Amino acid sequence: MKTILESIELTKIFKTGKIEVAAVRDVSLKVREGEFIAIMGPSGCGKSTLLHLLGGLATPTSGRVLVDGEEVSSGKDAVRTDIRRRKIGFVFQRFNLLPTLSAQGNLEIAQEIHRNGSRDRQHVDEILNLLGLEKKTHHKPSELSGGEQQRLAIARAVINRPAILLADEPTGNLDTRNSMVVLKMIQELNRALSQTILMITHNPEAANIANRLIEMRDGRIVSQQQEGGWNAAEDRMPL
Amino acid sequence: MRSLATALAVGLEVALILLLVGLSTGMIRENSRRMSGVGADIVLQPPNSSLVLAASTGAMSVKIADLVSGIEGVKDVAPVYLQFNTSGGMGLIWGIDQESFNRITQGFIYLKGEGFQGPDDVIIDDIYADGRGLGLGDQLKLMNHSFRVAGIVEHGKGSRVFIPLGTMQRLVGTPGQATMMMIKCHRQSDIAGVQDQLGRRLKSYPTFDMSSFAAHIEEANRDFGPLKYFTNTVVFIATLIGFFIIFLSMYTATTERTHEIGILKSLGAPQGYISLLFLKEALLLGGLGFLLGLGLTFGGRFFFRLLMPTLQHQLPPEWLLYTGALALFSAGLGALYPALRAARQDPIDALAYE
Ligand SMILES: Nc1ncnc2c1ncn2[C@@H]1O[C@H](COP(=O)(O)OP(=O)(O)O)[C@@H](O)[C@H]1O
Ligand SMILES: [Mg+2]
Repeated sequence: MKTILESIELTKIFKTGKIEVAAVRDVSLKVREGEFIAIMGPSGCGKSTLLHLLGGLATPTSGRVLVDGEEVSSGKDAVRTDIRRRKIGFVFQRFNLLPTLSAQGNLEIAQEIHRNGSRDRQHVDEILNLLGLEKKTHHKPSELSGGEQQRLAIARAVINRPAILLADEPTGNLDTRNSMVVLKMIQELNRALSQTILMITHNPEAANIANRLIEMRDGRIVSQQQEGGWNAAEDRMPL
Repeated sequence: MRSLATALAVGLEVALILLLVGLSTGMIRENSRRMSGVGADIVLQPPNSSLVLAASTGAMSVKIADLVSGIEGVKDVAPVYLQFNTSGGMGLIWGIDQESFNRITQGFIYLKGEGFQGPDDVIIDDIYADGRGLGLGDQLKLMNHSFRVAGIVEHGKGSRVFIPLGTMQRLVGTPGQATMMMIKCHRQSDIAGVQDQLGRRLKSYPTFDMSSFAAHIEEANRDFGPLKYFTNTVVFIATLIGFFIIFLSMYTATTERTHEIGILKSLGAPQGYISLLFLKEALLLGGLGFLLGLGLTFGGRFFFRLLMPTLQHQLPPEWLLYTGALALFSAGLGALYPALRAARQDPIDALAYE
């Protein structure tokens, strides 16, 4: 299986005045094509920071990230932006939809950015149908329920068929029922379209539907489950 | 709402420039038209005087008229003393010697009344009379002196307000002086020769051929006139104000929309895309402002006409282009820094912005 995403000894240290916080330490990770990985761990253990580094939203203090063979960890904003545009789809806990645009508009602008200008109305309709939003085409995000907003955000993230979908607690703002709907959809994307997914979650249900679970603590990967079984991480266990 | 206010401010910038240029152009054209309307062939001015506002700094002796009359080809000479009308309204008061002035102009066309009967009489034109609601026999205060309206004449010959030359000289305190000589020749073909003779005998006294006066005065105003500096200053300040208003408005807009910018960055929008988004918006505001400015200009013209009928407003069409370009220029320039700053934001910080 092809490796879609790889991180090599990834470290991120935040400096606030004299205090240094190592949010991510020495994380090496491989994600293969078609995998659905869940990352779990307590609050503040560095999950979001890791996701930002993998997606080229931030630069590491040391280490490298390769997405589909391309170096993302370069310091250049333009390079990282370009890889985000071509290869990565993000879903966030706060849905991060553009409030002034309709559902359709939110999808079209993602297409426009991805393709440097052109739009594909038919594909927009397909995706809206797939995610059960066909009746909400002209609604603004504020006119949609939380569940619908997150489905729209997922639609936007996959509309350009990214190499990998990076999701940061996509059900964190949703009630149980909506969480289930959204998780089903993510699972469906993985199964039906072989979408490669890396998802941060606190939700045990979510961990179950993924085909690999990664546990983080204190900036490190402490265990990686592989195809149903647990493998101790090469890293020392804390405690 | 803020966008509308911004566009309106740009509109005011445009209207300010257009009204100013329109008024000054109108004034200059109107003055030169009236100047030509006098019917003189040549105008002689004292040394170091400026034709631009037809207001001379220097004066010359009335006796020069005798010297001029002696030149071959000269039919008549009329000394005139020009003075700014400072008490109420704009424009010039002409002090004229009625007899010689009439010979040059073929006489006023009286709509009411007649010429000067005494030293405290004033002749005004119909536009001035209508504008100030003056009738025959009314008192008119000029240069701190009370005049009686003796005649109301058809407009178009020199000034809108005439008083006797002697009275003017007394009030200004320059007895025996004039600021301008109006010269009429026998034949069209004499003009060049007379001008040549004047140049020889009165070396430093500038002369102007009236047939080219209008073109000359407009060019003089465009190129050297103090009006040019005044206009340039107003244009500069107005553009600067437009620039700052757009700058502030776009700075606020980009700050307010930080979160949206973060979203666009997460989608992979390059810096150019984001900058262009805000630049386009600013140019749209500039364009809208320009249109509003045109509306304000025409509205302003309408009110000027109601309030001050003596003021002429003429808009050289090229200024529509200039102000349009200026509005877009100040909008684009004002948006440049906010747009670049917006595009360069850190995506994580922008996404975290509330
Ligand atoms: N911009 C930042 N500046 C300083 N410290 C940060 C910054 N972002 C995250 N951190 C710190 O890094 C650690 C990991 O944060 P985060 O990746 O958000 O954790 P998680 O997503 O697992 O809850 C935390 O201690 C957090 O306070
Ligand atoms: Mg987090």
